[in-house]
Amino acid sequence: MSEIVSVEAVTRSFPLNHDKTRNLVSALNHATLRVQAGEFLAISGPSGSGKTTLLNLIGCIDKPTSGRILIDGVDTSRLSPSALTKLRREKIGFVFQTFNLIPVFTAAENVEYPLLIQGVSSRERRERVAEALAEVGLSARANHRPDLLSGGERQRVAVARAIVHRPALVLADEPTANLDTHNATQLIDLMHGLNQRLGLTFLFSTHDARLLEHTERIVRLCDGTIQSDSLTNPHIEFNPNQGGTHGQVLAASLS
Amino acid sequence: MGKFLLLAFRNVFRNRRRTIMTLLMVGGGVTGLLLSGGFFAFMVDGLREHTIKEGLGHLQIFTAEHFRRDEVRVLDTGIENWQQVAATIQAGPHIRGVAPRIEFYGMVSNGSKSSVFVGSAVDPAAESSLGFTPRLSSGTDLSPKPSGEVEAIIGSGLAKSMNVKVGDGLTILAVTSDGALNGVDVQIAGIVKTGYDEMDARYLRVTLASAQRLLQSDRVTNLVVGLDSTANTDAAAAALAPRLQGLPQQMVLKKWIDLATYYLQVRNMFFGIFLFLGVIVFFMVLMASVNTLLMAMFERTREIGTMLAMGTPRLWIVALFILEATLTGCLGAIAGVLSGNLLGSIINASGLHMPPPPGLTVPIDFHVLHIPALMIASSFIVVFSLALASIFPAIRASRLQIAEALAHV
Repeated sequence: MSEIVSVEAVTRSFPLNHDKTRNLVSALNHATLRVQAGEFLAISGPSGSGKTTLLNLIGCIDKPTSGRILIDGVDTSRLSPSALTKLRREKIGFVFQTFNLIPVFTAAENVEYPLLIQGVSSRERRERVAEALAEVGLSARANHRPDLLSGGERQRVAVARAIVHRPALVLADEPTANLDTHNATQLIDLMHGLNQRLGLTFLFSTHDARLLEHTERIVRLCDGTIQSDSLTNPHIEFNPNQGGTHGQVLAASLS
Repeated sequence: MGKFLLLAFRNVFRNRRRTIMTLLMVGGGVTGLLLSGGFFAFMVDGLREHTIKEGLGHLQIFTAEHFRRDEVRVLDTGIENWQQVAATIQAGPHIRGVAPRIEFYGMVSNGSKSSVFVGSAVDPAAESSLGFTPRLSSGTDLSPKPSGEVEAIIGSGLAKSMNVKVGDGLTILAVTSDGALNGVDVQIAGIVKTGYDEMDARYLRVTLASAQRLLQSDRVTNLVVGLDSTANTDAAAAALAPRLQGLPQQMVLKKWIDLATYYLQVRNMFFGIFLFLGVIVFFMVLMASVNTLLMAMFERTREIGTMLAMGTPRLWIVALFILEATLTGCLGAIAGVLSGNLLGSIINASGLHMPPPPGLTVPIDFHVLHIPALMIASSFIVVFSLALASIFPAIRASRLQIAEALAHV
């Protein structure tokens, strides 16, 4: 088992009223978290607890005020902006609450985009897009634009886009927040299935109890502080490809 | 690259109403430039041909002495044995004909009143063969072989001043090549309107033979050469230059452009006006586009944030915005070229006229030329303007903070 994410005493403060020297509000306080490859981990907590801030920091789209974050063993605080862009491009997949698909692209073209910016050949792109769309059950909707897809379908396209380049880590910020119960359940099953079948590491924020029921490890945040980091069923095999139990995962994560 | 271009192309049509407004603005600018530039070009071309056909010709041959010093006596710097020189020229390529001229001046009198005239002596047959026909308001051109009275054509202003009409007589006086004063009675064959009031008040035209008799000289001031086309001026001049080398008198060849001072002034003025219009269109498109592109950028903040989050290089975002603006500019230019040519054709078919400008007495056709170089230049102006306008929004978009952009509502 390899450690894919390591958050070490990370604090993120924001200035109030654009005053950068005084009146800082702290969104995350000395958070420490370790995630092993192949985990299916939920970050839970009420609104304003710091879930999105933590995901943004892990996703290298924001910088910590103090502390450091390692992705796949690389200290992101030492990376240049272009190296961070490359790291995001190659190692991280994003799923957003509001889907954030490119509206002028079809479902297939949206899924193709991460491969496009990686410079993958068109033939390989075609194959991998078809494969990713098949994974999320949207092969038949490949040529539809987002405005012709339902909310659930859009989010599945977003998931396909996040996994098409086989990233080391998939970050999902409130992926079910804009979905009805049926679509939310389908999405949870889909993400969990991808985690199980492909061994992809999923890290997502949610306060959706339906999603938490399917999650083996839950990190609870409150007012920017990690309140708990627990396993719901420590004896379940979490990754058939890599072996180990959740108990072992948590032990490794907290060590 | 293809997908990137496709993304830019689809983004252009994302907000159709705004795109149509932009295309109207850009297309309108190109249309305006094509119509104004096409009309200016018509005016300038018309003035060029008018200048050439009014008697300037495409080439003129003088003695070198003509430019070295002022004449001490009439025609003492003129071309002697001009028939031989004319025959030499006539054998050159693109030559339609050669017309000898004498430029002279003197006094004209109706018996009770005298005035100064500026005379031009011509060979009517040679002039006619080159299409150099005077713009007569009444009467006829000079006869190639007059019988009896010496004929003259005078300007309408001079006719009014002398109180004469076609068929009346006048006396013209000039200094001969010997320095003596000589006079001859002429009969008014025609009255001409040159288009220039100042010229009409002084103009007098007689046959070459009449002028040579008056001036007591067989020389001519110059030889005017007419070509098959104005476009062949340079080629004909290059071919004639060596032919003029071995003649007894040293000759100088002048192209029409060297002698058409007024044409050059008008052309430069129109070019200046067109340049000014181009600058206005450039800044109009630039300012309006910056605003439009900034609006588009703000609307797409979250999308740009998403693209950046997924690892899109920031330079790609800059390139995408510039590409979109360039595509919009190209589409606007195409629309402008189409509408400009269509409107130009409609204007040309309508037969509109402009009132005579200051100094001219005849109305001008309102005609628009379709000039490919103008279409390319106008298109380039708007495309460049839009591309330039997109740089600021593009850089702003590329510098968005990703987390903030993703939270943008």
